[in-house]
Amino acid sequence: MDILKNAIAGTLESSDVLVKVSPSQDGTLTLHIQSEVIKQFGKQIRATVMQTLEALSVSAATVVVSDKGALDCVLRARVQAAVLRAADATDLDWNVL
Amino acid sequence: MTDAPPGIDLNADIKLDFHTVSLTESPEAEAEIRSLLHDNGLDLDEQVDTFVVCRENGRIVGCAGLDRDVVKDVAVASSLRGTAVSLRLGSVVVKLAAVHGHHDLFLYCRPDSVQWFRGWAFHPLVEVPGVITLMENNPLNLPKYIEKLSRERRPGTTIGGIVMNANPFTLGHRFLAESAAKDCDWLHVFVVKEEAAQFSYSDRFRLVTEGLADIGNVTVHHGSKYIISRATFPGYFLKDKATVEHCFCGIDLLMLREHIAPALGINRRYVGSEPLDATTNSYNAGMKHWLSETPSAAAPIETIVIERLTVDGSPVSASKVRALLARGDLGGVEKLVPPPTLAFLKQQFTRAHDDQQAGR
Amino acid sequence: MKLRRSMLFVPGDAAGMVSTSFVFKPDTIMFDLEDAVSPREKDSARLLVYQALRHPAYRDIETAVRINELNTEYGPKDLEMAVRGGADIVRLPKTETAADIELLDRHITRIERECGRPIGQTRVMAAIESASGVVNAVSITRASPRMIAVALAGFDYLVDMQSERSGGSEPELFYARAAVLHAARAAGIDAYDVAYGDVNDMDGFLREVMIAKNLGFNGKSLIHPRQIKPLHKAYAPSREELAFARRVIEAAEKAKHEGLGVTSLDGKMVDRPVIAHAELVIRRAEAA
Repeated sequence: MDILKNAIAGTLESSDVLVKVSPSQDGTLTLHIQSEVIKQFGKQIRATVMQTLEALSVSAATVVVSDKGALDCVLRARVQAAVLRAADATDLDWNVL
Repeated sequence: MTDAPPGIDLNADIKLDFHTVSLTESPEAEAEIRSLLHDNGLDLDEQVDTFVVCRENGRIVGCAGLDRDVVKDVAVASSLRGTAVSLRLGSVVVKLAAVHGHHDLFLYCRPDSVQWFRGWAFHPLVEVPGVITLMENNPLNLPKYIEKLSRERRPGTTIGGIVMNANPFTLGHRFLAESAAKDCDWLHVFVVKEEAAQFSYSDRFRLVTEGLADIGNVTVHHGSKYIISRATFPGYFLKDKATVEHCFCGIDLLMLREHIAPALGINRRYVGSEPLDATTNSYNAGMKHWLSETPSAAAPIETIVIERLTVDGSPVSASKVRALLARGDLGGVEKLVPPPTLAFLKQQFTRAHDDQQAGR
Repeated sequence: MKLRRSMLFVPGDAAGMVSTSFVFKPDTIMFDLEDAVSPREKDSARLLVYQALRHPAYRDIETAVRINELNTEYGPKDLEMAVRGGADIVRLPKTETAADIELLDRHITRIERECGRPIGQTRVMAAIESASGVVNAVSITRASPRMIAVALAGFDYLVDMQSERSGGSEPELFYARAAVLHAARAAGIDAYDVAYGDVNDMDGFLREVMIAKNLGFNGKSLIHPRQIKPLHKAYAPSREELAFARRVIEAAEKAKHEGLGVTSLDGKMVDRPVIAHAELVIRRAEAA
């Protein structure tokens, strides 16, 4: 999936996560995570985001994740929403979600 | 009573409405917002027209001003501070800005509110201690910019910097850059990027590059949102500059000193003397204060003021060139600008003249 | 016998609520993709609800999804997600005719087939929100074997009727309630009463609950978790009712054991309807 434009999904509210996706400037995948629980869950958050991006075949993008204590399933959903918006994708392949 | 998981307040009143208002269209809302800001020790920034407001039973209990990609004038009624209202307000602001194409935002707040806005996913960039803090909500942007700049670093002990609007590039600009370049091992010139000038950024940038092409130790850099931009120095872009009483430039200058100058090793900033424009004059005066006098972890930068080039007894300025152009006095313009600028202006003038003739 | 007393509405885009609503233990969780979600966020909410449906925490609780109407750009996508996500029930808003349900049924069958879900496993709830819906209730409730419940949506219905809530016993809702209830009973499905909008007015809420319960409604749509426990309590039988119900079951069992057809208790005949009611009473008591 090609990231064509900037997109945001999620909110700043407790138990949610704000995900910003924008096109990569150098063809790489850059992920930055902000979270109050970065020490305990940083690794897990990173893994979930990378997995979700991979499943959507995203290899080049800049992703900023501001976590407010979201569960994995919420994180996955918000990353998916941001990616699909950024890719202007209308058809969903439910098998990869 | 049902056990509520953390973060879920069963007693929370869910009757809060969030929507956008334009101050020019809603004077009643403006009055309420002023009052709310006042209660929070803030004054309404006259440049902001769009506000996201939160109403409880019709009364405004939270507000956040949005000026393109800059968030300011944020206040929440004391009864709701510390609740989820603030976070919802932040989410609505982010979404509104995104709808208008602004995905990365700046935010101004008092230094003692920085912690609160970390909750909005902003982090501090520059602080004028005790007064104001500039924050940003994309942690990758500034580091990326600095890293890119660093690749343009040149060796030397005296590295100069100039920031110019060049609207358009004149012999005065040329003189300033030439003088600075003679004085330094290397000179970095930045062109102000905002599209707020008569001439477009791309034209201005091109004329600066052409106008300085023959000077061997100069790099002309693209401007950015971190150098004299609507974000760092909104006062610069006020339409009615003559009425600017207090020009607050601390943020912009500290940004230069703490982030941009270190990337390139800039230790001298050159400016032309400014007898005419009040805003620029005030800015230059602030320069010494913020760039070298104020204590900071970042090394001081020496401010060097160079007397303006004069032609026929008066200082050369871009505003003068624009005025002459408006009057059609191309002969007068020719005395004040280098050939590339003259060619460009002639082209512009002819085009404008033709448009007028054709009644466009 | 699945109890359907409380159906808790959860806005599909509210991450906090979607993550945690199961702890409140309503009989059914209704993830709302329709009125609770702004058009700009419908895509994001759909993905969030999909994740929730497949999360272990929601495995043991009945899940429903209120999709957008099928003639919108959102409805068909919501439906794909809900069926593939394993929602137990799909709630169709603004159901006006049996044909609306038939169309939904065909789509669900197609999706079940495509994703390998057992055909017929996804159930349907019709939301009746207009005069047309009320007068067509009888055919709506019978329109598909998937039909499991019908819900009266008060606010939209009253707008359509050019009427308003008057508080108290609310005669303006009487016909709609009666019609929807009769249609449900005739088709053998459950019926939900209208949502009560003022979450701070517990007394008003409970008054309305009692009206609905006495009419025979199985339960009510809820918009806030704090309405759940009071609702369950109101539906819980009194000690006397429970004691009698237990005696009924005992007597019925004894009669069966002794090969008697019908027996009586305290002068009342203990036949099939009485036994069924006693079972319902015990079930409600156990769940309270």
